[in-house]
Amino acid sequence: MGRLLIVARLALRDLRHRPGQAVLLLIAITAATATLTLGLALGNVTSQHYAATKVATRGPDVVASTLIDSPAGQPAALARIGALTRAPGVTARSGPYPVTFTSLAVNGRPESASVMVEGRGQAPAAVDQPQVTAGTWIRPGQAVVERTFAGTEGITVGDRISLDGKAFRVGGIAVTAAVPPEPGICYFFGCGRQLQPFGMANPGLVWLPAADARGLATPAEPLSYLVNLRLAPGAEAGPFAASCNDDDVSSPAPLVSDWQCLQATDNGQVMTEQEALLTASWLLALLAVGSVAVLVGGRMTEQVRRAGLLKAAGGTPRLVASVLLAEHLAVGAAAAGLGLLAGHLAAPLVTGPGGTLLGAPLTPPVTAGMAALAVAAALVIAGAATFVPAVRAARASTAAMLADAARAPSRSGLLAGISSRLPVTLLVGLRLAARRPRRALLGAASVFVAMSGVAAALWARASLDRYDSGPGANGPLDQVLLVVTLGLVLLAVVNAILIAWATVTDARLASAVTRVLGATPGQVSVGIAAAQALPALAGAVLGLPAGAALFAVLSGPGAVTPPAWWLAVVVLAAVAAVAVLTFIPSRLAGRAGPAPVLLTGG
Amino acid sequence: MTLLSARRLSKSYGRGGGLVRAVDDVDLDVGAGETVAVMGPSGCGKSTLLHLLGGLDRPDSGEITLAGERVDQQGERGLARLRRDAVGFVFQAFYLMDELTAVENVELPALLAGRSPRAARGRALELLERTGLKDRARFLPSALSGGQRQRVAIARALANDPLLVLADEPTGNLDSAATLEVLRLFEGLHEAGQTLVVVTHDARIAATADRLITMRDGAFVDETRLTGGTSGSLARLAGLAGLDPEA
Amino acid sequence: MQQEVVLAMLAKEPTYGYELRARFRQALGPVGAELNAGQIYVTLTRLERAGLVSVTAEPGQTRPDRRVYELTAGGQQRVAAWLAEVAWPRPDLAEFHLKLIAAAAAGLADPVAIVDAQRRELLRRLRDVQRAALAEPGTSDAALLLEGIALRLQADLRWLEACERTWTTRRSES
Repeated sequence: MGRLLIVARLALRDLRHRPGQAVLLLIAITAATATLTLGLALGNVTSQHYAATKVATRGPDVVASTLIDSPAGQPAALARIGALTRAPGVTARSGPYPVTFTSLAVNGRPESASVMVEGRGQAPAAVDQPQVTAGTWIRPGQAVVERTFAGTEGITVGDRISLDGKAFRVGGIAVTAAVPPEPGICYFFGCGRQLQPFGMANPGLVWLPAADARGLATPAEPLSYLVNLRLAPGAEAGPFAASCNDDDVSSPAPLVSDWQCLQATDNGQVMTEQEALLTASWLLALLAVGSVAVLVGGRMTEQVRRAGLLKAAGGTPRLVASVLLAEHLAVGAAAAGLGLLAGHLAAPLVTGPGGTLLGAPLTPPVTAGMAALAVAAALVIAGAATFVPAVRAARASTAAMLADAARAPSRSGLLAGISSRLPVTLLVGLRLAARRPRRALLGAASVFVAMSGVAAALWARASLDRYDSGPGANGPLDQVLLVVTLGLVLLAVVNAILIAWATVTDARLASAVTRVLGATPGQVSVGIAAAQALPALAGAVLGLPAGAALFAVLSGPGAVTPPAWWLAVVVLAAVAAVAVLTFIPSRLAGRAGPAPVLLTGG
Repeated sequence: MTLLSARRLSKSYGRGGGLVRAVDDVDLDVGAGETVAVMGPSGCGKSTLLHLLGGLDRPDSGEITLAGERVDQQGERGLARLRRDAVGFVFQAFYLMDELTAVENVELPALLAGRSPRAARGRALELLERTGLKDRARFLPSALSGGQRQRVAIARALANDPLLVLADEPTGNLDSAATLEVLRLFEGLHEAGQTLVVVTHDARIAATADRLITMRDGAFVDETRLTGGTSGSLARLAGLAGLDPEA
Repeated sequence: MQQEVVLAMLAKEPTYGYELRARFRQALGPVGAELNAGQIYVTLTRLERAGLVSVTAEPGQTRPDRRVYELTAGGQQRVAAWLAEVAWPRPDLAEFHLKLIAAAAAGLADPVAIVDAQRRELLRRLRDVQRAALAEPGTSDAALLLEGIALRLQADLRWLEACERTWTTRRSES
């Protein structure tokens, strides 16, 4: 018990002695934990919202559609769809509903969007009755707009719209499980050719009274049909549908899609978000480990001496290691708690059903299993970077530790030779900052990791832009990307600050001496900043292809390279940030002149 | 000719009850080629005085003139230039860069002053020869003894041919033999006409000076010229008090 | 000079007078410059009378530096015993200490001024000693002796600084 008390007391005292560093560490690990929590929470989301919507709307197990090219083909198409409804295993159906494609304009606005119009009756259908979330179901002269589409186009109940020139009033907004939101519709219905006259892709969905829908058909744009089927319980929709991938759209057979495919499309977004968050949490964890490593490394002198004192006073090596670990694990545990809380609070933002589906955000979004995982992750991060120094401190001979045998700066004859040929500022900077090459490497690594994440986000952004249907279509994914990027940048900044402080502190005496020899404070600060910026540049440049590779691994082929100027801006911003974050503390530290440092002997 | 002149120099630390007058209204003149030693108990402000004279710290009040230029009115740029070209510093703790060899340490001020690497290296080797360390030029400080390190530091202080060399307890960390090495160097510098201000505890270093100033609580309390003959004989000092076997 | 010293310088072998003087000169360097021949020979005479040294003269030689001096058995014993002794030359601090006290008590002079004057003097001497030491080659015997003198002076100066501190404090308190 006494030992535990000692360990606790020493650990706590040390943390209080350096609150700034403890806080920075807390931020780093909290960010990693929060992202991890969010990523895990999303994992629970995928299936539940669709299931809820399917139940609420009496959604179909299978949807079949047939697209008709000319009025002559209509009877045959209808017959085929009808045959499907009588297939074995089908227990209920609704439709066939007439479907046509046309353009929609919201009154008062010049732009038009393409829509798929589905004709319905006023009476509720047996299968797939869309759930109205605002307004009422269709009435003569009134249309109902699908919710995601309404959100994208900014349509609300009471708006006046015109479909192919014909005026309607928006009577309601509804949600369905049977038709995926834009841009999924054409993926299922193969309607690219139908939309050609309109020159648009990715139609939204609008329901109209059947008579009005039929009225929209033209000889060039004849009606098509779709039907919703319910299968017997236990029957697998997949085999029934036979295929829901790209089929030859010119074949006369109906296109049949099972509900799992629909769900996957609905959730495609969410899965991407989850992947993004989980990947980000790995990157953040790496960065957090980097932060801890820098912190611990930067305080090695103190820690070694403290450990020496402990040992000289009779502490065992185990005690020494325990104190060191205890401090960082304490911060890790606190960070885990904070991260979980943050994740818990933020989860509703990403676990909501979005516009497409029904359902409330999952509560509780964070299960006990997830919590355990997050806490474990935080502790691993804290422990990983502390482990090696703790063991080293525990093993080293006491006398050596008391004599402050902290790592002496390493010598590089090459560097010394090169630097003497450089302009004075760089000479000073290299000599001062390059005394600890491992820290420079850590700085480069930190920028590399952060840049990989940011680059992956940029590639994602570019790919989304290319395949994008319009503003706001990828709202939640955009948010996630933004959050991820901000998180990575935040952590990279934290790391940069830590490394900068460690470098400046380490070089304090040498900086003072260099100033005594005649270097101006500007030369010293700019030099150190430049010397930190060079590894940062290397890390940033290497991070770009790494990020591209990361994105390619996650998203498969079809990645789009972002414009070169994006990449250039990001790299320059990273280097500039590191330079500034190093320059400022160096300048601040040097403000008092070299005398105080010299008087105390560094 | 007066090289360095200070008037009403003051510097304090702390506040209120904890106020310490490290340097209290001090006047000082140092002539060219003169060696001045400042002695006094610990904490009397000797080091602070030296830092002020060398532009390492700013006085609270007073003026310092070095070779006609006002030191206390310089900005950081000007002070850096001063330290580079006009003043050489020697510290008790040597303050050599651990990861640079002796010659790299000595050439550093020359490089900072903008001389070409070759010229700087040449100058450094020449200075190391003068201090008797030519064959240790490529050694790291950790491979040198205390006395040798201090000699490297002295060579470094001379790199840019300064008008004034300021030494703060140069033999504080050295044993008797190393002190002798440094003593020898200082005598050599004195003979070569170098102006030197030394702060020291060590009477042996102080005895090399032309003038000895005693400082207490931030102020000068005594000043002595050490040139001139003595009344004692070396033999008597050694205990050879006559060959009288009565003892 | 202690007779034991002269005895010890003869311990190696029988020596001519002038050789003995040369040995002293070499061992003392500038410090021995003030030593004159007479002092050495007076001591030798006394040692001869005490039976510790035997003197042989070449026929016809009367000058002391042409005589050969040699240790007797008694002389050798004395040297051996002296080498084994550990007494250190007696310091003379008490006299100065009493000087200061007397001056203060009788109001004859300011003790601090006395200390300062003594300090100045010792510093000047130290300067001379150091100059002499630096003129010697580093490993000569004389250099070692001068080093010893310098260190002693340094120690004495340290004590004088302490005296100054104490007497200054007393003065400001009175």
